[in-house]
Amino acid sequence: MKILLLLIPLSLAFLAGAIWLFFWAVNNGQFDDLDTPGLLPLDDAPRHKEPPP
Amino acid sequence: MPRDSNCWHCGESLAGSVVAHATVAGQKRAMCCQGCRAAAEWIEQLGLSDYYELRTAPAPKPDAGDSTHDSWQDADSSRHVIRDLGADLRETLLLIEGVRCTACVWLIERSLGAVPGVVSVQVNAVARRARVIWQESKITLPQLLQALSRTGYRALPLDAGGLDDLRRSESRDALKRLVVAGFGAMQAMMYATAIYLGAAESLDNSTRDLLRWLGLLVATPVVLYSARPFFTGALRSLRASRVGMDVPVALAISAVYAASLIEAVRGAGEVYFDSVSMFVFFLLTGRYLEMRARHHARDLTDALARLTPPFAERALEDGTFKRVGIHELRVGDRVRVAEGGIVPADGVLLTERCRVDEALLSGESATVTKRRNDPLIAGSVLEDGPVLLRVERVGADTALAGIAALVGRAHAERPRLQVVGELAAGRFVARVLTLTAITAAVWAVFDPARAFPAAIAVLVISCPCAFALAVPAALTRALGAMARRGVLVVKPDGIQALAECTHALFDKTGTLTEATLSLGELRTFDGVSHDAALRLAATLARQSRHPVARAIAAAYPAIEAADVRDVTTHAGAGVSATIDGRTLRLGRSDFALAGKPLAREFEDAVLLADDRGPIAAFRITERLRPEACAAIAALQARGMTVLIASGDSASKVAAIASRLNVGTWRARQLPAEKLAWVAELRETGARVLAVGDGVNDAPVLAGADVAIALAEGAELTQASSDIVLKGGRLDAIAAARDIAQRTLAIVRQNQRWALYYNFSAVPLAALGFIPPWLAALGMSLSSLGVILNALRIGSGDATPRTARPEHSPAEPFPRPAA
Repeated sequence: MKILLLLIPLSLAFLAGAIWLFFWAVNNGQFDDLDTPGLLPLDDAPRHKEPPP
Repeated sequence: MPRDSNCWHCGESLAGSVVAHATVAGQKRAMCCQGCRAAAEWIEQLGLSDYYELRTAPAPKPDAGDSTHDSWQDADSSRHVIRDLGADLRETLLLIEGVRCTACVWLIERSLGAVPGVVSVQVNAVARRARVIWQESKITLPQLLQALSRTGYRALPLDAGGLDDLRRSESRDALKRLVVAGFGAMQAMMYATAIYLGAAESLDNSTRDLLRWLGLLVATPVVLYSARPFFTGALRSLRASRVGMDVPVALAISAVYAASLIEAVRGAGEVYFDSVSMFVFFLLTGRYLEMRARHHARDLTDALARLTPPFAERALEDGTFKRVGIHELRVGDRVRVAEGGIVPADGVLLTERCRVDEALLSGESATVTKRRNDPLIAGSVLEDGPVLLRVERVGADTALAGIAALVGRAHAERPRLQVVGELAAGRFVARVLTLTAITAAVWAVFDPARAFPAAIAVLVISCPCAFALAVPAALTRALGAMARRGVLVVKPDGIQALAECTHALFDKTGTLTEATLSLGELRTFDGVSHDAALRLAATLARQSRHPVARAIAAAYPAIEAADVRDVTTHAGAGVSATIDGRTLRLGRSDFALAGKPLAREFEDAVLLADDRGPIAAFRITERLRPEACAAIAALQARGMTVLIASGDSASKVAAIASRLNVGTWRARQLPAEKLAWVAELRETGARVLAVGDGVNDAPVLAGADVAIALAEGAELTQASSDIVLKGGRLDAIAAARDIAQRTLAIVRQNQRWALYYNFSAVPLAALGFIPPWLAALGMSLSSLGVILNALRIGSGDATPRTARPEHSPAEPFPRPAA
């Protein structure tokens, strides 16, 4: 059962990492709008870079 | 798709008057006005013509010229809408009018993103808000707004530190707490499982203690961080000396946690770290679902936020005018309002006379003539001008602000279903706590060693999660299922009312029939030429915004200068004016002829007449909406009584009613009469569902048990309704009612189920028969059962999409569930 002494801290470290990552994502607005990004795959590279005057 | 009968850009009926053409994606398209042409060409030039393929609703009609943009140039007025991000970067929150589908978002992000100086654009389609970050050295706010209005969207900068930030932090916090609770619950369950299995496999004591301490380690953040809203909520309601749901929940959480903590330190007995984490996780899930449904509902009705203009023109001592922010207006100020402008504050007219549209307040879609010293209400639209008014009430004192506050309060209120559910759950938890205390006391007499474990087992197994989840899970699922069918529930109370309604009252014009009318037959009298009659009628019709008047006006697009005086609109009757010295009336036959007799066949026609007699008779044709027949049949098949109330003549209403197989109808109804009919029906015990589109339907909608407005209709009508129907899909009403009924049934089922479970489990736990692992399992399974049951709402019976072809070429992006 000694392996637990390695595996448990490891799992806790993973857990802390996952929560930190999630907090980072939330604070960066990744979850603010869950409706709009459904359109993002349709975003082709713009054909005209400069807008007309 | 009928490309030639409607403007390619905004979808408005062309009625034979193509004003302009634009080339979109290599094809020449008809446009209804120069504004649409410019917008379409601009979109094409930006290389964004894919928009027309992606969109699911017609584009907003661009405004010819909007002079208010420049007002934001002034540093004073723009200070509160711009946030300084430092180093030349500025951030603004824009409320964008005319966002109709997700393709709009795409178009706005692309077109605004292409403007030099714009760093980032983030558009939220549901909230109709855009967050724009830009460089101050390269672009100004007015230029930004100008760029946006070229594509046809009007934007209003919102207070930078406003509502959105509060809401954003609320939803972010809720998400973080939920995830911490979820992860914590998972880990705690893992250690608990090891302990439970170890008990059978003879786990050695040191490992068991280690696992307990680890359970404590992961459960502590869950209780101290994730469960904090329950503790603060409990404190708040204790201070207000109320006992809501939070008090018993907080008590239960702290009792189980403290007991487990003591056991872990003592190294004996059972720990319930897994149960307490799971408990918090399930409760937070319920709260999170409820919060999302609430935010979603509020997004749909921010219409009132933009009914008053941000600026007003204040008269100075020397007779000149200065543009000031609306918050700077004081009582007694004299303010000038230009033609087509919006009255900024409640006041008194100082000019001789003017015509205003007070539709948003009175619900009457007709212009009203005001004379000197008559009161003007903030938010009403001036039809002519400019006029001068003296400000009487400003800001929160105006009538409009009162309405906005009412609407806001209605949205801040939590659904009745939810409140009742929470009260039941609160009472339930309080009883459980009593039961726990009794269990502990009884065991203390017989066997003190078992008092503590048995009491904790009662507390854990009877957790109110299932109760707390029953309503929000079902409501959220129902809102999502309805949204997918084009039914947007604005007030969640509407679900309950919709399920219970027995009568459906439909407006005819614009609701059962298409919103735009067209001119059918034209008959003239006394040898007047068709053209001359049409010219007079169209000139007169332009003075009114009634759909019938619009149909006549559209039939004669060439505008000729005429001397039009004394225009008076008679609500529900017609319009009269003096044109080139001749007094003319256009409208219902009894109004136009002022009592003179006429052949019966013209009784229901629209008549143009002068004092000598009739000049011409018009027949207005209207098309039934394609889904109307099926929609009404579906409602009748469900045992509902369908009624039609219309302001139109008896023969027209009868024709429509017989086509739709509706037995009961009333014709020539004024808004007040329709409302009286609703009240009459309700007195006989009927629950009335009212369906309407225009502002004249607003009183009826407000008086009904549940109100459904069409999304094409007036904004205020939508704001005062419970449910908004997208794309005029009447057939969705019956489907929505089925979903609502199923939702209510499932909520009741869930609550009954949770009650039975507790009834059977609590006595066993009190007698000490339930081992801790079974208590934890029972708790989780009861919550899971409730959620799975809620998922049955709206599954499997999805109706095929029958969106109207001319407006919805395709709907490639099904809206995700709310």
